[in-house]
Amino acid sequence: MQAAALDAQFALILKSVNRKRCSGVMAAPVNSSSGCWKVPEVYKHHEQQKVCISRPKYREGRKAKAVKVYTINLESQYLMVQGVPAIGVMMELIQLCALYGTVEEYRPLDEYPAEEFTEVYLVKFQKLTSARAAKRNMDEKSFYGGVLHVCYVPEYETVEDTRLKLQDRRSYVMRAAWNRAKEKKEKEATNEGSSSSETTSTSDTSVTRREQTSENLTAGETSNDSHDPDFPLLPLPPQQHYFFRHENLHGTGPTEDKMGTLHNAVTNLKRPQVEGLSTDPSSSNRGQGTKRRMSSNQASEFRFLPRTTHLESRKRKMEEAAEPSATVSGEDGPLIGPKLPEPPKVDMEDDSLNTTVSLIRNTMKQVESVPDLKAVEKKIKPRRRI
Amino acid sequence: MRRNESTDVSERFEYLQTLVTEFQDTDSEEAKLQVLANLANFAYDPKNTEHLLQLQVPDLFLDMLTEENEELVEFGMGGLCNLSMDPDCRDAILQGGGISLVTTRLSSRREETVLSAITTLMNLTTAATRPQTTEPGVLQCMLRFSLADSPRLRSLASVFLQDCCSREQVRQAEQQMQGLQAAVGIPLPED
Repeated sequence: MQAAALDAQFALILKSVNRKRCSGVMAAPVNSSSGCWKVPEVYKHHEQQKVCISRPKYREGRKAKAVKVYTINLESQYLMVQGVPAIGVMMELIQLCALYGTVEEYRPLDEYPAEEFTEVYLVKFQKLTSARAAKRNMDEKSFYGGVLHVCYVPEYETVEDTRLKLQDRRSYVMRAAWNRAKEKKEKEATNEGSSSSETTSTSDTSVTRREQTSENLTAGETSNDSHDPDFPLLPLPPQQHYFFRHENLHGTGPTEDKMGTLHNAVTNLKRPQVEGLSTDPSSSNRGQGTKRRMSSNQASEFRFLPRTTHLESRKRKMEEAAEPSATVSGEDGPLIGPKLPEPPKVDMEDDSLNTTVSLIRNTMKQVESVPDLKAVEKKIKPRRRI
Repeated sequence: MRRNESTDVSERFEYLQTLVTEFQDTDSEEAKLQVLANLANFAYDPKNTEHLLQLQVPDLFLDMLTEENEELVEFGMGGLCNLSMDPDCRDAILQGGGISLVTTRLSSRREETVLSAITTLMNLTTAATRPQTTEPGVLQCMLRFSLADSPRLRSLASVFLQDCCSREQVRQAEQQMQGLQAAVGIPLPED
């Protein structure tokens, strides 16, 4: 009797997990090593620590935080969300998570100890940066009457996940170091350029420059010491540009607060459902069939664009070229590009039908003549002054 | 725009300098911990690397590894883990005798300290330093970790063994471990 009840319960759980699995991505089970039905361990890093109240003013942040150090080992693309009210809001939760980046997988952690009337979820993001943003923005926030507690759960990573995570981090840091060295060189070059006009011979300055270059090179040595010291390090492949752009290396993105925690999720909110870029080699293995898509805003800055962007921009150009044909009559502006042929006129062999068709066609032309990306203008009400 | 950038840069440096000064001057253990955690977190962002190098923060973190307070050790190791991916910081840490200081802490009871130590060792491994960072004692330690209960420890140790060592080295370390077990009296299976 008991066995049957347990079986039924097991079947229910299984059903709900399968139903809830992220559609389109049949990835490997999230916790493959020890069997996902083992009771998940409550690790120390899941616990919410007490907030520090004794900080002197000059290093008090905007928000009170615990004393904790974040390293790459603690961060993860896997997040655990506790405190979700058990009122059937799983989809809303996942939609909220998806604001910060592509969610690859998610499932309820039914066996994790949870407060009464709350549920716990495991969410796997495609990128660690998305997880970081989600944690920053969702932790301690109210959600359908409950308060969410969000933490990283790196214990769900496979060995490969961990390796890729470290590799990504290393590339990012090396890239930053490379940029710094380049800026330094350029600065010194301009400084020398202004002073070389006076007395120093050009041969001296070039020697100094070469010495500095070689110093930078030894500083920029990676653990793979096979590069030739006489030639400058090659820049990382262009995909990496995008990767770091996405990470907002150039000053527009995440900044720390006074305590150094780098958990500012600024970037992706303007573009919900940002598809993670997976063109850099380290994450291409992780791909698992997810679509690659580029956000068009950033495409202009780079010389090399993945093929998908070319296709999309070409598509857009074609659509734009199609518009003039919709507003051809009485058009004053210069038509750029070849005029597309007008759509063939259909003869319905009936006067009223033909009238109807042409009415519809005219309406369609009017609708098409409105530009696609017209920003919705909010009517700004004049402020009432009391 | 340039002016704003340079002001921002110097403000940042001054702020970090204030933190370091407080750390050195304060008697309060609590304040030390807070500031150390701040510095370790700042070390995560490459924007601060240059300043932290100028302020000799890598040495500050290294000093923490010899402290009695395990929390100071943990935060210091975290800071090293964050900094050591940068080549300049890596060199500074190596010059300060980082390898032996970090290796010693592989035996810490605190998991975060050990995890940070493993990652730091990975970062400190270059062609020149490989003999030290992958010496047999370290490898045996990693082999034990790769069989640990903790999944994070297992994964990280596995990555170390796979990426930083040659198969031959790992095989030798395994043999040495078996040899040790035999010496302890655990009988090996007979042929």
